[in-house]
Amino acid sequence: MSDLILIKQLQNKDEYALSKLYGKYSPAIFGVIIRMCKDEAHAQNLLQDTFITVWEKSHQYDPEKGRFYTWIYRIAKNKVLNFLRKSDQLIQSEDLSVYSNKEDEITIDSEYLELNGSIKKLETHHQRALELVYFEGLTHREAHKEMDVPLGTFKSYIRQALQKLKEHYSKTLVLLIVLIDALR
Amino acid sequence: MKRKDIIESGILEQYLLGELDSSKKLEIENALNSDTELKNYFNELEETFEQLGQENAIKPPLDVKTNLLKSIKNNSTEETIINDTKSFELKTLLTIAASIAAILLIGILWTYSELNTTKKELQIVEDKNQILIDDLNSVTENLETTTKWLKQIISPNSRQYVLIGNKLSPNSKVISYVNNVDKSVVINTKELAKLNANQDYQMWADVEGEMINMGIIDTSKELLAMTYIHNAESLNITIEPKGGNDHPTVSKLISNVYLEP
Repeated sequence: MSDLILIKQLQNKDEYALSKLYGKYSPAIFGVIIRMCKDEAHAQNLLQDTFITVWEKSHQYDPEKGRFYTWIYRIAKNKVLNFLRKSDQLIQSEDLSVYSNKEDEITIDSEYLELNGSIKKLETHHQRALELVYFEGLTHREAHKEMDVPLGTFKSYIRQALQKLKEHYSKTLVLLIVLIDALR
Repeated sequence: MKRKDIIESGILEQYLLGELDSSKKLEIENALNSDTELKNYFNELEETFEQLGQENAIKPPLDVKTNLLKSIKNNSTEETIINDTKSFELKTLLTIAASIAAILLIGILWTYSELNTTKKELQIVEDKNQILIDDLNSVTENLETTTKWLKQIISPNSRQYVLIGNKLSPNSKVISYVNNVDKSVVINTKELAKLNANQDYQMWADVEGEMINMGIIDTSKELLAMTYIHNAESLNITIEPKGGNDHPTVSKLISNVYLEP
């Protein structure tokens, strides 16, 4: 069933449609959330929270403006950033014992959070740039400082990184088509 | 802003990542709407972003989905329950109201029907009562009359005289009771012979040779009171034209009797 039909059904409060769309998008979104907050339990709550919002605000999604994934990605990112901001405020207002606990909270194996796929084939600075804005939720302005490069350079990194990824995906697609043709 | 500038500024990536404020966001959306090529470029960008996401997907535990579906079900169930409760309350109230209305209606109909029956019965009783009253009146009247006659007849002051018909009416006989104290005359007409339709019997009292009218004898009544005439010496009966006469027709005298002084 096409996404557009499922989305239409979701907008009509069809639980089955939510279940199907969750099945399709939750792993990618969870990958983003867990890398951003680095906490399994909180990531699970935030994922659930994200899809509750998807359910409640589905009428606000307009397919003309962009892909469904992009829409959910933005919701998830906002939820994680809000959560992290609240946690930071808590740490700042509480005593040092809480602060010292922060490191203990990160219990996830770093290998688990390592990036996979085509991004691994990019040059390190391209990988890092994408990782910062995509998987860590930093803005371009925060990220260029993090990488210690001018904003213009950082933007170029991102654009070049995406261009390379696109080429790679296109190649994969062409290869797939050739393979399918050969198998016929 | 030209297409090339937009692409090179990296603003589309920022838009995609949700980093822009609302005015910048609107600006980009307008640009995308008015420029198909730019829109196509953006579509590819989105696709790449999504593929990057899918390649780095991490399967969440099944609990999350279970909780999610439970949570949205709970919300909608709560609404349903609230609605159900409200509609149940409303339904209950309506049912109670309808029941009361029905009971009242049945009560009114029953009372109305009972009232009608009672009215009919009352009418019957009234009718019967009227008949009884009429009967009673009639009986009372009869009794009074009979009692009156009886009193006069059995009174010690009453004297009985029998007028026997002569050859003009040999089978006639009238019994008369004269009471000089009560000043009354009562006669029994039972044995008077029948007359033609244009004739009546009339009774007269003889007072010092003059015949004085005592009244027409109504033969339909068995007992009959006649006019009492003071100092009457005899009682006489004549046959007269219908409605009576001023003077007796002596040739038609059928009977007479002398009274004791």
